[in-house]
Amino acid sequence: MDGLVALLGLPYTDAVVIAGALVLGITSGVLGAFAVLRRRSLVGDAVAHATLPGVCVAFLVAGVKDVPGLLLGAAIAGLVAALLMVGIERASRIRPDAAIGVVLSGFFAFGVVLLTHLSNSSDADQAGLENYLFGQAAGLLERDVAVMAGLAASALLVVGVLRRALTTTLFDPAYAGAIGLPVRALETVMTALLVVAVVIGVRVVGAILMVAMLVVPTVTARQLADRFPRVLVLAGLIGAAVGVTGALTATRGQLPTGPVVVLTGFTVAVAALLLAPGRGVLWQARRLAARRRTVRRDAVLTQPDAPVSGLRDRLVRAGLRRRGLLAADGTLTAAGRAAAAETAERRALWTAWLEHGPSIRLPDAREPDPTDLRGSLGDDAVAQLRALAAGAPR
Amino acid sequence: MPDGILIVLIAGLVATACGLLGPFLVLRRMALLSDAVSHAVLPGIVAVWLVAQTRAPLPVIVGAAAFAVLCVLGIDSLRATGLVASDAAIALVFPALFSLGVLGVTRYAAGIHLDLDSTIYGEIAFVPFDTVRLGGYDVARSGLVLGGVVLFNLLLVGLLWKELKATTFDPQFGATVRLRPRLLSRLLLVAAAVTAVAAFDAVGAILVVTLLIVPAATAYLLTDRLVVMVALAIAVGWVGAAAGYAVALPMDSSIAGAMGLVCTACFVLALLLSPRHGLLTRRWRRRRAVADAPLLR
Repeated sequence: MDGLVALLGLPYTDAVVIAGALVLGITSGVLGAFAVLRRRSLVGDAVAHATLPGVCVAFLVAGVKDVPGLLLGAAIAGLVAALLMVGIERASRIRPDAAIGVVLSGFFAFGVVLLTHLSNSSDADQAGLENYLFGQAAGLLERDVAVMAGLAASALLVVGVLRRALTTTLFDPAYAGAIGLPVRALETVMTALLVVAVVIGVRVVGAILMVAMLVVPTVTARQLADRFPRVLVLAGLIGAAVGVTGALTATRGQLPTGPVVVLTGFTVAVAALLLAPGRGVLWQARRLAARRRTVRRDAVLTQPDAPVSGLRDRLVRAGLRRRGLLAADGTLTAAGRAAAAETAERRALWTAWLEHGPSIRLPDAREPDPTDLRGSLGDDAVAQLRALAAGAPR
Repeated sequence: MPDGILIVLIAGLVATACGLLGPFLVLRRMALLSDAVSHAVLPGIVAVWLVAQTRAPLPVIVGAAAFAVLCVLGIDSLRATGLVASDAAIALVFPALFSLGVLGVTRYAAGIHLDLDSTIYGEIAFVPFDTVRLGGYDVARSGLVLGGVVLFNLLLVGLLWKELKATTFDPQFGATVRLRPRLLSRLLLVAAAVTAVAAFDAVGAILVVTLLIVPAATAYLLTDRLVVMVALAIAVGWVGAAAGYAVALPMDSSIAGAMGLVCTACFVLALLLSPRHGLLTRRWRRRRAVADAPLLR
């Protein structure tokens, strides 16, 4: 901690907040990945709401506002809520989102009833019980961060040890059961870890930040990696980066930490969704546009005499003329004829692939690329296709 | 009209408006949208305060509704990219909007008392005190607003019943026969957002979220027919409204909370005892089937 203070040149309290954001970011990034990929992103929201009755009941039992007791109550209620959600989903036709919604509503309604009942009946000691749940990053103590770091380390250790079993259960529970993994126990472990993360996070930074921090790192990481172990590691790193960047910005601008971290995370996630190489929205759009252009170009090359229709057609023709494939009078030049022949050849090969593909022998099971059959399948396969196409009566 | 009856009637109107839309949201796996909207309206309220310096109900509802619609359309377009599941889309959008609202409050509106409890979480117990003169009578303002919302939802669901049903159960078929599933889905989401905002103002966010999800989920356990599901969802909502009020009075606790608890109790009953899908009924049926099977005896 002292090292961090010295390193960043920050006031002590800011350094504590930033360290907290770092720990929280890593933990929620890694644990959130399991929730997001199971389509249970909003479990955190429901667990956060469920802690309200937990805190109330703990207060009723203990009679005093003592922090560890209230936290324990919140954690137990959160765990019960999470297990109920999973149970409802498994035992009935209710889908995950509705199960989360029902549990969230039920627990929160119960909490509100308890709270009003308490405030109408008892002394003033209960005041502020509900505010207990709205985290305050500025009030973070070094001790809190130490506890968070300890819990985070043990949670990450469990994930590390059970990595394979958890991954198998996540993606294919039926298979996991078939190879003898204790599926229910593993799911319970995962749920419990998530609840621990949420309860600590809610206490420190508030419910809304927790919801976002569980989802942002995984959505971003998923845009950048295809393999689950990489997604996990990346999610942890992104969570840490988002947490620290947001907390730093907030301290510089004298703004509340939670909202700034959430907005930072939202920006990062949306940028990843738009720009991620290969998978992003803009990349997909560009690929689609390129494909459309090829189709139009091929259409003009194969039928240069067809009547000119529309602006796009005119643009394509202008482009072909610029590249010397189309003469000024609209007929094909020599290079244009070669390109047209190549297009026709490519189409013939593709037709042959559709017709005879199953009967040729390939070294492996690759998906062919319609625009470049030779490149994606290899010369040998193309030769076989030619022979089959030539031999078969059309 | 006695205050108690008025409160139950207002809650019943909310239950009707929610019951008309809830089943579609539950079947389309968009049940948690209402919770998202309940948080996402905050920047709208802040913006109204910044622009007009007012907390009067009408401008606040308009501002909140604008951000509610922004929220659902944002979620829908994120989902439409096919890159994130709808739950992740919800969890991305509403915290961002809520954070925007919190930043707005701390930055520009810290002096005024603009917190969630007093602005968007209306309190159903105060419904009888907020009236307008209409034709010589004092009418509950929220009753008028909610009556309009119920009418609108009734028209929407009634006129587009066939289309909504087809696209809910089979969007691909809907697209094939040119029912415009995307447009219908957005229309439904906008209607849900407007309903939620109008009802927040009257009865509070938690009751609206509950009434949109829990009665519909209860009805889903009890029937396989959509029209029955809608009717049952409305009925469960009314039971929650009436019984919740009756429970809250002697306990001296939050009326909205008690209504939510009764609805949840209905869900638990249906979960255990539904004739076809109940956990206990299924167990009993299996046991009887084993006992009745001649070969196994």
